[in-house]
Amino acid sequence: MLSNASKSRHDGDLLAVVLIAPAAAVVIAAMLLPLVYAFTMSLFDFRPGFETQGKFLFLQNYLRFFQDKIALQSLLLTLVFTFSALLLELLLGVGFSILLLTVPVWVAKVLRGVYCIPLLISPIIVGLIWRYMYDPTFGIVYFIAKQVGCDQFFGGLQQPGWSMLCVVLADVWETTPFVMLCATAGLAAIPGDLYEAARIDGAGWWNRFLRITFPSLRKVLVVVLIIRGTDAFRVFDIIYALTNGGPANSTLSLSIYAFKKGFEQYEMGYAMAISIIMMVVLSLLFGPFLRRSRIRA
Amino acid sequence: MGTKLLSAGLKTFFLGGFFLWTVVPVALVISNSFKTQLDIFSVPPTVFFVPTLENYIRALTSGDFGRYFLNSLFVSATSSLLSVGFGAFAAYSIVSLRPKFAMTIANVLLLGKLVPAITMLLPLFAIMNLTGLLGTYVGPILAHTAINLPFVIWLVMGFIQDIPDDLESAAKIDGCTRMQIFWMIVSPLIMPGLAASAILSMQYSWNELLFSLQLTNLDTYTLPVGISKFVGSISVDWGKSSAAATMTMVPMILLGFFVQKYLARGTVGGAVKG
Repeated sequence: MLSNASKSRHDGDLLAVVLIAPAAAVVIAAMLLPLVYAFTMSLFDFRPGFETQGKFLFLQNYLRFFQDKIALQSLLLTLVFTFSALLLELLLGVGFSILLLTVPVWVAKVLRGVYCIPLLISPIIVGLIWRYMYDPTFGIVYFIAKQVGCDQFFGGLQQPGWSMLCVVLADVWETTPFVMLCATAGLAAIPGDLYEAARIDGAGWWNRFLRITFPSLRKVLVVVLIIRGTDAFRVFDIIYALTNGGPANSTLSLSIYAFKKGFEQYEMGYAMAISIIMMVVLSLLFGPFLRRSRIRA
Repeated sequence: MGTKLLSAGLKTFFLGGFFLWTVVPVALVISNSFKTQLDIFSVPPTVFFVPTLENYIRALTSGDFGRYFLNSLFVSATSSLLSVGFGAFAAYSIVSLRPKFAMTIANVLLLGKLVPAITMLLPLFAIMNLTGLLGTYVGPILAHTAINLPFVIWLVMGFIQDIPDDLESAAKIDGCTRMQIFWMIVSPLIMPGLAASAILSMQYSWNELLFSLQLTNLDTYTLPVGISKFVGSISVDWGKSSAAATMTMVPMILLGFFVQKYLARGTVGGAVKG
């Protein structure tokens, strides 16, 4: 009996490894190996395709980042983008998921379906759509700005400062539904009697939100924060379509900067160093949340 | 009574406002695809217009839209198949065979989120270049599969955990091997999960720009890359690009309605249950 059990567990081990091997192979080939390669080559100065003629710089590419004004500005802009997008998306997403609970179920279903459409559209198309709407001569955004009387100072995509706001809005348009869906899933897991009991005890809606809704949503929100936050920090497509980092580098995210350095200015080593610094910053920002999101079995 | 009316009014205002905010941009691009140049440039946008198919004809005949479409179909179908196949095996392996590690691995999978696409792309580009695979379908398929796998494993794990243990024990007593259990009992029960994973993986791949942009060439461009070339030109041909955008996004929007409830589940499933 005993030997039988241990034998089957041994077989299980082997089978477990065999079953997981293909997935692991893909992740190793497309993620881990490239990361090792990127770190190694980030110590060199080389042009794409001329790896063997690279000049060994050791950590100079990394030091260069911290002396590169554009790089530091880009880091700051990426943080501004991440936090403003995240804040707006969380507020709107959670707000509307709660609001949808207060209307008849079929209305909520239909609305939720419609609200989700932007999530299904390719970010490059989202960029295309918003670029049309932000066009100074025929864009609907300028038309609305004129209607409400602020067309005099609205700078759209052409003016630094405004351009970042415009890019953030396009991102909010696309990904708020994701936050809404996640929050909805979290809300659905809260037992209804909890609210009933609280109401009987005389708790108002604000108290109910603070004591029941928010704590129950916290776990979901941490996961959403990680997913959306890391996505926002890596933003590429929308900016590529809307401004390509301009005007005057006012929307230059780190992904765009690394892309330009690598594929337009052929400074591959430096581009890789930038992208690795990105990964480190991302880990510092969201790593702590990742540990907190650990789910107990 | 007054406050009730007020709150109902506010509710309608917010829900309706968000409805317009969501729908207007999409409606604009779809209607533009049926408009003449003159109508596209009118401010405010014309609501009633004589529809024309001219933009579609231009998008389909000039340029390589058809080829991009087939490329996208091939890349997204292949990477989706690989993601779901490999992902389902891995998920079964983790949940049923090594349950002790299940949660650790599930958390490790989230680590992948900390790797920016550009950090993967730069070295992947160099490696593909060295191995002569640059410009083939291998690059985008490999990258998309690697990005999708953690998500698929995470989603399918949830479905496998939902299967009652008794079912598997009973099959084991009847003498089924573990693989027989997987094929005959587990896989039919997780079919909805597999279907949802397949659609979601396909969607990601269909919509993805960055990897496809650099790892493909003129012959293997996918739809997003083709559209980015439209957008990148100095003066955008709005009619033609709207037609291309509409043909690219409508299939995914329609498919999306089937998987809406899973869009969040793969992400927060564990957090909701735990």
